[in-house]
Amino acid sequence: MNLICLVKFVPDVDNFTYDYENNVLIRDTSRLQLNPDDACAVAFALKIKAAEPDTFVEVVTMAPDKVAPHMEDLLRIGVDRGSLISDTLFAGSDTWVTASVLSRYLSDRDYDVILTGTHAIDGDTSHIPAQVGACLGLNQLSGIISIDPERFDENAAVCDVETESEVSTYEMGLPAILSVTRESRYRLPYPSRKDLERDVSERLRVISNRDLGFAPDQVGLAGSRTKVIKTYTKEFDTKDRIVVRADDAGVDFVYDFLKQKGFV
Amino acid sequence: MKRCLVYLDAAEIRDSVDLLEAARRIHGEEAYETVGAALHRDIDPAMGAFDRVIQVTRPDIKLYDPAAVTGVMLELQQANGFDSILVPATPFGRMLAPRLAMGLGTGLVADVTAIRKEGDALEIIRPAFSGRLLAGIRFIGDGPIMMSIRQGVFQYGGSRDKKTLLDRYVPAHVRDGKIRRLAVKEKEQIYDIRKSDVLVSGGGGVKKNFHQLERLAEKLGGHVSASRKIVDSGIAPRSIQVGQSGKTVSPRLYMALGIYGAVQHVEGLKRVEHIIAVNVNKNAPICSLADIVVEGDAGTFVEKLADKIEAQGGHQNEH
Repeated sequence: MNLICLVKFVPDVDNFTYDYENNVLIRDTSRLQLNPDDACAVAFALKIKAAEPDTFVEVVTMAPDKVAPHMEDLLRIGVDRGSLISDTLFAGSDTWVTASVLSRYLSDRDYDVILTGTHAIDGDTSHIPAQVGACLGLNQLSGIISIDPERFDENAAVCDVETESEVSTYEMGLPAILSVTRESRYRLPYPSRKDLERDVSERLRVISNRDLGFAPDQVGLAGSRTKVIKTYTKEFDTKDRIVVRADDAGVDFVYDFLKQKGFV
Repeated sequence: MKRCLVYLDAAEIRDSVDLLEAARRIHGEEAYETVGAALHRDIDPAMGAFDRVIQVTRPDIKLYDPAAVTGVMLELQQANGFDSILVPATPFGRMLAPRLAMGLGTGLVADVTAIRKEGDALEIIRPAFSGRLLAGIRFIGDGPIMMSIRQGVFQYGGSRDKKTLLDRYVPAHVRDGKIRRLAVKEKEQIYDIRKSDVLVSGGGGVKKNFHQLERLAEKLGGHVSASRKIVDSGIAPRSIQVGQSGKTVSPRLYMALGIYGAVQHVEGLKRVEHIIAVNVNKNAPICSLADIVVEGDAGTFVEKLADKIEAQGGHQNEH
């Protein structure tokens, strides 16, 4: 089978710095990581490949060139081909444009299934899998916690989707887009020592707008349907707070408050 | 007159009706018509609140098939030309909205938490970077205005006794998305933190003694909830997580124990009457929202407070 994984590299949301004066995010490139849900998608593909060695796994991302080393890391753990869609014209694209760009590339590819994550921890819109599905005329399912490897072939996949209240098992006709979550617990393998030094650059291809042929006003900020006009950290209404210590007096104070308000 | 279409999610119909408040913020004081689209049978909560409800009646539509439902919604939009389309950010809504936006060639803002309007200019607010930042977004193009809206953020307080017109609609064509539901297993529901009056909530500061929160929650007639840190470390299930990647809660009392209060967490607190924050750092962001800040170790405090309530013969409230 041909499996394509659509992934995104994201900044570490727990450790980013914010420039409050200029209201911009400082993206520390060294801290980029594969989005956790997307890592599970790649991990599942590699698991299938381990069982069925003639499986072909391609990882596709749209990102600045600087993610190339991260893509090479994936090639070192068993991914067959890395495709990096990168062009300065694409900078500032919203999800509508991003999905259009990815879909134009994918429309020429041969695949049985497209695997993605459900949420990205930076944008967290969850738009791309569904929007690529709409562009390519494929159905798409989010929130997948497991795909049954025994019932996964060119025709259909059986997978479990977890929501707040239930776990549903679906059979999805393929080709389709299957979007997994971190809860799937599919984990990427570690590279072997000899693979760490292997030159994998020939399996990484960079695709630019010369290959895709968008007009400059169709992509990037110019082509976007939505625009971020400002970002800010949240300001909250602050209360007249009372500070006590976590000692007996503090406990008594809180107790009296709870009593007065009818909680005890 | 402007017209706004709201997708009524069968699983969360009441939350879907609350989107009428978002419609009001978008269209403001000018006259506008609200239309609910239902693909399922139970539309009672929408009757009286919307001006019109379109009930789609085709028994062969699978409500879990994103391709099929998107096709129906596209058809409704093409026939009616709504000015705005609102979808609740339920798991299904989050698959439907982007598909529909792509089909309509329009922009979409996801998981909206606030809507501002100045004159005709609309600024849509949504959290980004796991809720650590808020982004103000503007639509470009001819529309329709489309957004998926975070559950529990808007509350509809308008009329419930309108004379709602009910239209039945049979779509011309239904796409088969080649998806079949083979089985559904209900999860054991512990409790819904969105319905709790009292939440005893733990964060990184009570990682080691998280289980002790249960005793205090019981004494207060409430439930235990958790921050993302606790859930990500596998100590508590995601269903009790408060915050941007968890749930939006509105208890009367929120006890934040060892919770730092990053924007992503505080985003999940709406209409909370009282907050008591216990933290070793009295300047943690959560403390600026609190009625009372208790400076010190939250684990020790929880135990002492539960002891005190017990000693005072504190009754156990009904859940």
